[in-house]
Amino acid sequence: MNVDEWLRAFAAELHRRRVATEDVRHVVAEAATHLRDGGGDPWTVFGAPDRYAAAIADSVGTRPAPRPGPVRLQAEGITKRYGRRTVLRDAGLTVRAGQIAAVVGANGCGKSTFLRICAGLESPDAGQVSVSGRLGYCPQQGGTVDFLLPDEHFVLVGAGRGMGRASARRAGRAAARQLGWESDEPVLTRRLSGGTRQKLNLTLSTLSEPDVLLLDEPYQGFDRGTYVNFWDQLLRLRDEGRAIVVVTHLLNQLDRVDVVLDLTSARPGGRP
Amino acid sequence: MNPLLTVAEMTLRELVRRRGVLLLLLLMPLAFYLIRRDAYVGQSVRALLLGISWAVSTAALFATGAARELEPRLRLAGYRPHHLYLGRMLGLWAVGVAIAVPFFALVAVDGSDLRYGGVAAAMLCAVAVAAPFGMLIGAVLPRELEGTLLLLTVVAVQMLIDPAGAGARLTPFWSAREIATWAVDHTDDGYLARGSLHAVVVTAVLVLAVAGVSTARLRRRRHVRHLPVT
Amino acid sequence: MRGVLDLCVLGLLRDRESYGYELAQSLDAAGIGPIQGGTLYPALLRLQRAGLITAQWREGTGGPARKYYRITDTGRAALHRGGHDWVTFVTPVTAIMTGGVDG
Repeated sequence: MNVDEWLRAFAAELHRRRVATEDVRHVVAEAATHLRDGGGDPWTVFGAPDRYAAAIADSVGTRPAPRPGPVRLQAEGITKRYGRRTVLRDAGLTVRAGQIAAVVGANGCGKSTFLRICAGLESPDAGQVSVSGRLGYCPQQGGTVDFLLPDEHFVLVGAGRGMGRASARRAGRAAARQLGWESDEPVLTRRLSGGTRQKLNLTLSTLSEPDVLLLDEPYQGFDRGTYVNFWDQLLRLRDEGRAIVVVTHLLNQLDRVDVVLDLTSARPGGRP
Repeated sequence: MNPLLTVAEMTLRELVRRRGVLLLLLLMPLAFYLIRRDAYVGQSVRALLLGISWAVSTAALFATGAARELEPRLRLAGYRPHHLYLGRMLGLWAVGVAIAVPFFALVAVDGSDLRYGGVAAAMLCAVAVAAPFGMLIGAVLPRELEGTLLLLTVVAVQMLIDPAGAGARLTPFWSAREIATWAVDHTDDGYLARGSLHAVVVTAVLVLAVAGVSTARLRRRRHVRHLPVT
Repeated sequence: MRGVLDLCVLGLLRDRESYGYELAQSLDAAGIGPIQGGTLYPALLRLQRAGLITAQWREGTGGPARKYYRITDTGRAALHRGGHDWVTFVTPVTAIMTGGVDG
């Protein structure tokens, strides 16, 4: 882990501990200045990012966890069959403003299908979904166009809500920067690395400032630093009061989420 | 930004950047033209039109396939279905016209004693029909191989069928052929009138079919209730 | 040690303002030993939160922006009181220890 990665991980840990955004900025900048002045390995100077973040949180105090807001997404009794195979049976999820929900389960248990039904891209055989406000959706793949530049993606997606060219580009670049990606270089999407393409994919879903954000494992191909940025960004969006649903098969992030829907138990025969 | 024009613009940008594809799109009609050139220019013009039809519909087929995953996302980003399919169609029409222009110049230089207005009209008909035709196949057959094979079949039928027979009028690019005959062989104006009418009707039917399929695929589902932010 | 470090920092800031890295160097030069950032900055934040010092981001002379700390009146009072307590505590302890060292 180099200095930048350490600093990013540190920032993410501070956010996670609900240290005020302003304080995070100052503390991280100060640590960066110190490391620049003195050199040295951040692991020696400050220790592990999470432990140092804990010490800082202890010293500056943290914001109280905001009370979850009104319900933004409610899915009830979702049942979906493909032929004779029941993929989802009576699945339900309620997410409030300011919450992150994780949809987990083994491969093929219908996580993506559930998300697509919530987004209204697929019809269930039974069940209802209500969505309050704007919906953002990030598909697992294919949400980008190989022969367009990142900026053109921003313009294209922005125009859906009547956003002008310049402001869409600005909003897109700003959102990309939150993921640690400077997107203003004119490189065709097909020339971007898998991880960067996913950053573009993710950036597009937050561009219209959705109230409900549905993410289908959008971090495939992310390196560790980007992965930390990704969660950092999710926590920030959550703290802004958005309702977020993220499909994941990695269990080690579950401590950061507020609601968990495990679809494994909804498999035919596996249901208690 | 106007959403419809933005989709058209991006379709255009995307296609123009695929240099290889663009080159092959130009090569196809050229090959059709040259292969019949030794005999008689009228025959090559008709083959050329078929080449243009095929090139543009193939481009439309692949553009539709490439956009399959993107369109739901754009729909959620505020686009209405007609922004998406009409925008794409506009872009494809523009590409089609761009492909046709150099061939019109070629015919104008190479041919003699032709009704050039008729050649241009036939080219426009071919482009007008080809874009929604390729899009429709792309929308109905999700796998590109199947779509390509169907296109191949249609073009082969078009090439081999007796244009005077009743069945020929059911082929999509019959209009271009009729108008080309009028332009090349100086036949009576009935050819022009029949061809134009055919082009208008077929284009309209295809556009409506594309609209129907796209609107159905991108419809708001009944199970989702949209509520205002409270 | 926590309270002692706080007092030392206040002592270093008594006469002039300073920033984290410089404070760490001063502490080291004074013979207290290397104090790592991981210990120093939480202490600074604690002092700041208690109102004993204030902080301000500023460009140094020809250097990059740094967060400069300055002692407050409350901080001076705390230093005075704490310093007094420290001397009261440490003088008899020193007397006893000196005997041990000499013998």
